[in-house]
Amino acid sequence: MHAARNIALCTKDCVCLFVCPTGATDTETGQIDVTKCIDGCRLCVDACPSHAIFLVYDNYAEKKAKNPHIINALTTLLESKVHQETIARGLSSGEDAKIAKALALSNRILAEDCAREGLYMLPQNRSTRELLLSLKEKGTKKDFPLDAVEQLLDLL
Amino acid sequence: MESYKEYSPNALVAICSNLQKACEKQMRATEAELWKKLVAYFLTVAEEAENPTLSSLNSYIVDDIENSYTKVAALAEAEDDRGSLRCTTWGKKVTAIQKSVLARYEKQGGALLEESNLYVCEACGFIAISGKVPELCPICKAPTSRFSKIA
Repeated sequence: MHAARNIALCTKDCVCLFVCPTGATDTETGQIDVTKCIDGCRLCVDACPSHAIFLVYDNYAEKKAKNPHIINALTTLLESKVHQETIARGLSSGEDAKIAKALALSNRILAEDCAREGLYMLPQNRSTRELLLSLKEKGTKKDFPLDAVEQLLDLL
Repeated sequence: MESYKEYSPNALVAICSNLQKACEKQMRATEAELWKKLVAYFLTVAEEAENPTLSSLNSYIVDDIENSYTKVAALAEAEDDRGSLRCTTWGKKVTAIQKSVLARYEKQGGALLEESNLYVCEACGFIAISGKVPELCPICKAPTSRFSKIA
């Protein structure tokens, strides 16, 4: 568990520099140096007067399994939204380009939400791992970034 | 237990971009970049729409509002699955907004956007037609910083 800074909230009072025992908060990029940050220390989080520092977790609990009927219904909805995104994208270079681009983005966000509520909220979830494994198995086609799938299986 | 689902490449785009965003929120830049590569790949193999029109888009929108959302919401309610209820509550409202945006555009055409811009809420998909960026998303209450202006 290490600290991270939301630069949009930071008011540059720099109290974090006073309290950090390792100097992890004092960097030229404005980001906290995770290699120096002490696991779970949170002194800077509590000291920050602008509430701009938060803790990032390394381990996430497995989500409770959802009802399979709900997952199937969300998947149907996901496919409908991406189909609509595809239609909108097909219109995004013509005279209706602007409205089509807005609808394509809106539908992508709706589709992502269905994916998130369904099986893929956490990159560390079992279902995400199963997806990666199935992609690895099927990923024999030319140009498929198999290395990306393998690295994700290693990292997550 | 889970019935295996064969996703379209188009769905895999959204599944992977969702996981990319999740990694960004977890400050995992390396993993986010790898998901992004998968998004780019699935976009290249995604099926394209045959004869795309705004009116065909509208018919899917109407069907989602009248059927799909009602179905998921009823299941979610029966199971007391409040996460899925949240997803369908926002989603149905956003879809209704899409319908009204299309209706206004059909009526006014390009004139609708002469003095207004289009902004999309990155948190829920809400579309605003406005001279300036909204201060708050009326659907999910996300702040100004979560809105993207459509160029």
